[in-house]
This record gives sequence, C-alpha cells and structure tokens, in this order.
Amino acid sequence: MLYFLEDTINGILMGSIYGLTALGLTIIFGVLKVINFAHGSLLMVGMYLAYWAVALTGVHPYLSLVVVIPVMFIFGYYLQDIVIKPIFKAERNVREPITVIIVTTGVWYILDNLTLLVFGPQYRVINDNPLRGKMVEIGEMLISVPKIWGCVTAVITAVLIYYFFQYTRLGRAIRATSLDRDAASLAGINQYKIYNIAFGIGTAVSGIAAVTLVPFYNTYPTVGVLFDIKGFIIVVLGGLGSITGAILGGMIVGIIESVGPQFMTATWTEAIVYGLFLLVLFIKPSGLFGVKYDW
Amino acid sequence: MNKTSFRQTSIGAVAALGLLCLSLGPVSSLAAQTVKVGNIIPLSGPSATVGQQGKNAREMAVAEINEAGGIKSLNGAKLELIYADSESKPEKGVAEAERLINTEKVNVLTGCWNSSVTYPTTAVAERYGIPFVVPVSVADKITDQGFKNVFRIAAKDSWWTRDQFTFLKDLQTEFGSEIKKLAFVYENGDWGQGIAGNWKKLAEEAGYEVVLDEPYPSTATDLSPVVQKIRRSRADVLMMVSNAADAILLTNTLAEYKVKLKAMISSGGGHADPSFIEATGRNAQYLFDIVEWETDVNRAGAAEANAKYKSLYGSNLTGEAVDAYLAMYIIKDALERAASLDPAKIREALAQTDLAQGPGMIVGYDKVMFNDKGQNQFASLVMVQVNKTDNGLERITVWPKSARRSGYSPVFPKP
Amino acid sequence: MTGKKSSGFSVEGVDYEKTGGITGPESDNSKANRKKIEKLLLAATLAATLVLPIVVVSPTYLHIIILILFYAYLTSCWNMVGGFAGVLPLGHSVFIGCGAYTSTILSLQYGLSPWLGMIIGGILATFIGVLIALPTFKLRGAYFALATIAFAEGIRVMIENIDYLGPFNLNGPRGLQIPPLNTGFTSFMFETKEPYYYIILVMLIAILTLTWFISRSKLGFYLSAGGEEPEAAMALGVNVTRAKLTAMAMSSFFTALAGTFYAQFSLFIHPKSIISLDLSFEIAFIALIGGRGSIAGPVLGALLLRPVSDFSRIYFGDVLPGLHLVIFGGVLILVMIYQPRGIQEPLTRVYKRVVDRLAGISVDEPGKKVGKSKEATA
Repeated sequence: MLYFLEDTINGILMGSIYGLTALGLTIIFGVLKVINFAHGSLLMVGMYLAYWAVALTGVHPYLSLVVVIPVMFIFGYYLQDIVIKPIFKAERNVREPITVIIVTTGVWYILDNLTLLVFGPQYRVINDNPLRGKMVEIGEMLISVPKIWGCVTAVITAVLIYYFFQYTRLGRAIRATSLDRDAASLAGINQYKIYNIAFGIGTAVSGIAAVTLVPFYNTYPTVGVLFDIKGFIIVVLGGLGSITGAILGGMIVGIIESVGPQFMTATWTEAIVYGLFLLVLFIKPSGLFGVKYDW
Repeated sequence: MNKTSFRQTSIGAVAALGLLCLSLGPVSSLAAQTVKVGNIIPLSGPSATVGQQGKNAREMAVAEINEAGGIKSLNGAKLELIYADSESKPEKGVAEAERLINTEKVNVLTGCWNSSVTYPTTAVAERYGIPFVVPVSVADKITDQGFKNVFRIAAKDSWWTRDQFTFLKDLQTEFGSEIKKLAFVYENGDWGQGIAGNWKKLAEEAGYEVVLDEPYPSTATDLSPVVQKIRRSRADVLMMVSNAADAILLTNTLAEYKVKLKAMISSGGGHADPSFIEATGRNAQYLFDIVEWETDVNRAGAAEANAKYKSLYGSNLTGEAVDAYLAMYIIKDALERAASLDPAKIREALAQTDLAQGPGMIVGYDKVMFNDKGQNQFASLVMVQVNKTDNGLERITVWPKSARRSGYSPVFPKP
Repeated sequence: MTGKKSSGFSVEGVDYEKTGGITGPESDNSKANRKKIEKLLLAATLAATLVLPIVVVSPTYLHIIILILFYAYLTSCWNMVGGFAGVLPLGHSVFIGCGAYTSTILSLQYGLSPWLGMIIGGILATFIGVLIALPTFKLRGAYFALATIAFAEGIRVMIENIDYLGPFNLNGPRGLQIPPLNTGFTSFMFETKEPYYYIILVMLIAILTLTWFISRSKLGFYLSAGGEEPEAAMALGVNVTRAKLTAMAMSSFFTALAGTFYAQFSLFIHPKSIISLDLSFEIAFIALIGGRGSIAGPVLGALLLRPVSDFSRIYFGDVLPGLHLVIFGGVLILVMIYQPRGIQEPLTRVYKRVVDRLAGISVDEPGKKVGKSKEATA
C-alpha cells in the first residue's frame, strides 16, 4: 500500500512534467492545427540553453527561466515566421496542411544534428545545483524535490496559460483564430502574426519544461526524441488543444509508467501506454478532457 | 680501340644505370601506395560518443604507424582510414560495407561497436572475402557464425559474464562478506538480453537467488520505477547493462533513492562512457565496472599512450578506444607479414597473428592470437572500481588481484 | 488534403485543356503523335531499366539503386491509402515487419520457401491492415496519423518483449538472422545483386500498373472523392469507408511483400530497424516530396531523397557527423516550401512540354506561358 502511494506520487510528479513538455505541443496544435514533430527538438534546444545558463553562471536552475523564456519565444516566433509560414501561405485552403508535418520533421533533423555538430555527442549534467539529488523523506517514502518543483511549475504554467487565453485580448484573438481563421481575418486579426505568437508561446513553454528537466536529467543532442512520441500520446489522451488535458494526460502516463512496473517489467508499461492511447482514440477521439477541436 | 670500347662500356653502364633508375621509378611510386582501412562506426545517433572515441583512437594509431614508416614489407605503404557512419542502424551498416568494399575498394574493414550492426555487416565482408577486424562488439554470435574473415579482439559476452561472476566469488572470499541475492537490470536490446541470459545461467549454477530480473527500454525517460523495484527487492548486488544516457540516469536515480546495496557491478558500455563519471559525480563512487583496459594498467607504453590521447582529444582512453587502437596495430602487423594487399593473404596473416609486443600492445593481456573462429583467445578483462583518489574520481583496477593497483584496497561492501 | 491536391490538379487539368482549346482544336494527327511518343518514351525507360545492371557494374551503386526501387515500391503501396484516400498513415513499417517476420520465421523454422511466406505474410498483413483501418478511418487528419504511429510503436514494443509467440520464435529485441546458405531462386537468396534488382523492378512495375488501373477505376474515383469531401461523397451514395478499407487492404498486402524482399535482401531483421518510425516516416517523406496521389510521385520522390540521404552520408558522415541529416532536413523543408505538391508537378509540366515538342506541336506558346505563370504563383 505504501509502495503504491509512493509510486503514485512519483507518477503524478513525473507525469506533470511530461504534461508540461506536451503543453507546448498542444498549444501549437490548438492554433495552427498542425502536429509539430520538431517539438522534442525545441525541448532539447531549451535544455541546452538552460544547461549553459546554469553551468556558466552557477545560479539556481530555475533562475535560468529569465533567459530561457524570452529566447525560446523569439526562437519559436521566427522559426514559424521564416520556415513554416510560407507553407501555410501556399496551402492556405487546407485546414490541416500535412506538408507542415514534413517541414517540422525537417526542422527536427536540422536542430538535433546541428546541436551534435556544435556541441558534440557528450552527455551534460549540472552536478552542483541546489536541487540535484534532493529527496523529501516521509517515513519510508522518498519523494524527489526537483520533481516537486517541476510539478508545481507545470501547474502554475498551465494556469497562467489558461488565463492568458481566456482573459487577455491577445489570448482571445488567438482563440478566435484557432476557431475560425477566416472569420478572424475578416475581423481584422492578422492570422499569420497570431500563428507566430502561438508558436512562440508553445516554444517558450517547451523552454519552461526544459528548465524543470535540467536539474535532474541529462542534456544531449537526441534527448528530445525520447519526449517526442510521449508528447503526442499525452496530447491525444488529454485531447489535442486542451491545456488541462495535457497536464492530466501527462499524469496518467506518469502513473502507468510508475505503478505499472510493480506488476510487470518496465518494458511492458510502454505497450500499456500505447494500448490505452488507442483505446481512448477509438472510444473518445476528442481525448479524455478535450472538447472537439477547441478550448 | 681500347678507348672506344671503354667509352662504349661506360655508355652502356650509364644506360644501364639509367634503366635501373627507371625501373626503380615504379618502386618509389609503390612506396606512395596506401592500404585502405574501412571503418563502420556510429558517428551520429544514440551511440555517437562511442563512435567518436573509436575514431579518435584509430586516428592516433594510424598517425603513429604512418610516421614510423608505414608498412615496411609494402615499401612503406601508408594506412588510410575511411569512415562510414552507421547511425547505429544495421541496414546502414550493411549498405556502407557494400560501398566500402566495392567502391572504396578497402583492403580491410573494422567496426561496428553495436552488435546488432556488426552481426549483419560481417556477413557482407564474408561474402566478398574481405577481412573484418572487430575491435569490440561483444555478442557471442559474431564469432559463432562460422565466418572465416571475422576477427574479434575483445572478449565475447560469455567471457564478460563469466569474469563478473568469478569476481563476485573472489570478492566474497577476500572480504568474508556473503552475497546471496542478485538483481539484474539491463537495457532491452541485443546486448542487454545477451548478457542477462548468461547471468541467469551462471547465477543458477552458483546458487545465487535472483530477486529481480528487469529489462527496461533504453529510451525510458524516468527510471525511478525501476530503481524502486531494485530498492524493494533488497538485493545484495545489482548487476547492470546500460547504454550511456540510461547509465547516467540509473546511477543518479539509485543515489537519490539511497538504495542500499553491497555492490553495483556494471558491464562497460554506458558505464565506461567518458562523460559518465563527469555526469554522475559522487553517485558513481564504489561502482564496479568490467572493462578490457584501464588507464592504470601495468603495461609498457600504456600511460604514454593515454597521456597522448588525452592531450589530443581531452579524455582518457576507454576500453573500446584501446581495442580500436590495437586493431590498427594488429592490421599493421598482419600487413607486414602478408606483404600483399590481397584480402585472402591479409586474412591468412590475421589468422596467424601472434602479437605480444610493440607499440600497440598496451592491453592488459599478454598477446593477441585468434582461434579458429576468429576470437582473440587471450582477451581478458579487468574489474575496476570508481573511487576518489588525489586526482578526484578515478577508475581503479582491482581485479584480477595480480593487476590491482598497488596500495589500493577495494571498498566492499559499499558503505 | 489530397482532396485539395486533386482539386488543384483538376483545375490545372482544365487549364491544359483550355490551352489545348486555344491553340486550336488539336488535330487527331498530333494527338495520335503524342500518344505514340509517350509510348515510345515509356518503352525506352523500360528498356533502360532492364539493361541498367549491365551498365552499373559497381555493386555499391546497384545496392543504392535497389534501395531506390524498394522505397519507390513501398511508397507506391503507401500511396493507395496515403495518396488516394487522403489520410496520412505514419505506421506502414508494421506491414513491412509483418511480411519480413512471417516469411523469415516460416523459412527458418519450417523450411518454407520465402516466396510462399511472402504471400502468407501479405495475407496476414491484410488482416492487420483492415483491423487497424476499421477504427482509425473514423479519425481525421492528425488523429489518424497519430493513431497509426501508436499502432506501429505498440506492435514494435510487443515484439521486443516476446521471444516466442506460440511455436514461432520471434527472438525479441535480438532479431532474426537468415544464414546465407543455399542460394537460388526458390530460397530467394542470391550471390549477386542483379536478381534482387530484377525482382524489385518487376514488383515496382506491377504496383505502378496497379496504381494506374486504380486511379482510372471506380475505386480510385471513390477514394479521391472520399478524401476530398467525405460527407458529400457519402451523400451521393459512395461507400467511402468500403473504398478506403479496400485501399488499405491492398496497401498493406503489397507493403508486406516488400518486407519479405527486404528480409531476403539484407538477411537480418530486427524490430528496431524494421518496425521503426524512421522507416514509416521516410515512406511518407518520399510520397510528399514526390507528390501524393500521383502515380509517378513515389518514384520521383525516391529518386530525389534516397540519393540525397545516401550521398550526403557518404561524403559528410565521417568529417562532420550529423551534417548529412541537416542536409536531408533542409531538402525536405525547401521542397515543401517551393513545391508543396511535390516535385512531380513541375516535372510533369516539363515532361508534357517535351512530349509536345517531340510530337511537333509547336503552336502551344500560350500553353507554355500559362505553365510559367502558374509556376511563378506556386
């Protein structure tokens, strides 16, 4: 029973971090209606940024957010503006341009391998940071402190994003575009600018996720790939485009991964996650917490 | 009359000399000849760090060989390295082998580190009759295919596991502390499954209780569930097979959860990666790792080679790198004896390798000789312990006792 | 998406017809001339492919060419669903794995000729394909793509965890090796590469012919109608689901045949490489780069992408590790930005112009202009 509780807590904590990594994906999908296959690579870029910010200055890992968020936002903004926008323009009649998937995959290959070229294949870990290896002990139970930080950050980020989209002018404009981009254009909203901003926000959120990972995780060129497929699964489980769905979907995956191995080998939990994913897809394609195609 | 005949003879002599010079011409152009060594290694993708180590070591060895005058029996022919990136993918390895053999016309091949790549790739070399030197790829089956052109320098995985269990036994006798329960944790791949299969047999024979037998996907993003299982299994000794990213994650997570173990024994690979100690720091302390080679090996030239390597590439030589380094010298030795670029002759020479000395022999064992399957029968392994010394965290040879660093006593059980 | 694409096409088709109209009612003579020349060109291409192995003596290049044909074949199979039916399957490597594993296990354990195993694998894959398609075809766009990824990944994970499936030895993550013992036609194993070349060539020609027939059949019409406007098509009484299922069944059957070919060609199969996302993605890349839903698209896509990936790896793989994948990614992006409908579109235009020139239709200057201005706007 104690084991079960311990594993569930770990699952929720780790899962909320998964949810945070998927949040950027879901924001971008919600607005652009495009699966961003470069999403893991954006996370990787964020991790390198955070790693270097902390390694060079020696500050608390979470202080690197000051650098990571704006830099990632600008990066995402211009990535969309320069690379992805031309395709949207060429395929403006298509609701879900599949060609964009190919382009984002191209971005993925380029980012991962440029990083390999520039930084080499080494694994990087920040050893001396105040969060590293810290555990809370409650009786027999051990809970990881950096994961608690990550979980709290995930929840705060999700809440802020939610309020941003619900109650700010810009947020509402973005939502309007996501619901009906033609109508939004008619209402004087610059569709492509909105796309740039949404992509920037999604990228910045990936940056936040990267900061939560850096205190206890390795940074290396292909690290994003591990979170890629996981992100897609979480996002569909929770409902594509749903913010709460991403966090809760992440937690579900986290709990399966954490509790499952007590009953089987860890390799089988992967299969269970895929099974659940397909089950949800067939029974409720809009996801567990999603409303059809919008927020 | 005499004079003219003298002149004639002298003209004749000059002409003859000239002819001799002309005939020497091709000889001197022979000296510029090169021996092409094709290397299929993972330079990008998940095993890129290991591939880079192997590439560095090969380059250092070949530079030394060429500076020392190349292959003397081939008039000082130089070795030329040609690399191909396998990306750790079998199909890429196979395609690259085809290319290196047919287009680059390599005389000999080496590679591929990932057993799953080496396995099908050696089959290509066998088909074309090109000798293939495998520095390190541990799967037993690589030399059990009945191929005539495959020569493996490193020990095979049944030897790795055998030595790990002998070490375990010796450890108990030396320290009088009993080990009963073992936990096996390994990456779910060709390599991990191969080693774990042997472990299970050996554990049964030796009467240990296996309390955990856990494969995990090496793409796992969170290993704390696996670590929890280890912790709850109350095992005495944890034995691991990991690639680099997961080795780091596993070691750090084990330390976070304060898992109490008498010893942790790993199987090289990720645990021997140059960035492993840096990325795990104190968490790796007291870990036992099995390797082919360690920087403190008691062998002439080893320290110098390591120092040179470190100054060139910034990290210590790893077991994998030393095997790659030695591979170049073995090829050189075989070429000297073959005195030919004919693959069949090189193969014959490789099969008769009996290399005990020379600049490349910085390994821990006495000599290199291949058995009829192409396995280096002298390959042996050492156990090292990661511990703090005056130089910070270091890998220190502890087993076999004859090779133990003088003045060092292994720490067991783990405090 | 294909809907859009094919509608774009039909617009262009109208343009061409119009230009034909403007240039004056084409005489039956020149039409016949064009047909003749097209036939001649086809025959010449066929002849060229037949004698290719005699010209290309280097097994390396033949190996690369075989893989080009292999990918063109796979992509043509994919095209039946991904191109005509207007969805984006990203898990086709499952069928490749199914074919490869079935024929390999049957030949290793029961000594069955891989040719028979190939058919059995194909039939099995058809069942799996329909099984996947039944629920997933209800999904749209991104959901369908993600569902197929999850299917493929789920099956890969299962195979990696299973050593024995009943009496069949899958050998888990270690994969299966085919010992190169008895070469010959019945054992589908050859010393040289030429036989493999001709086998995959025949397979490719067969699949291209089949695609050609489909695109001209009722099924092809139903498929593209269903891809374009499923509701409208259904309202018109077209059984879109059945058409899509038929396409999926055919697609998975033929994809599985390629799996057997791959197993026999490389003599080693291994879940991580054969049921991999990389492979599934590459098929989709080739289709989109070449031109989805067109017959020539898969071939053109494979002709462009395979050499890019092979030669950049060969030339940069050792000096600057990773650069070859940067180049590959760059090519993907550039083609998609400048030719979102794939390279078949401009190439078809060039081809038509060449045929016209050869057929002696020189009066079609306006046609050219239309073509050019279209290019500029595209």
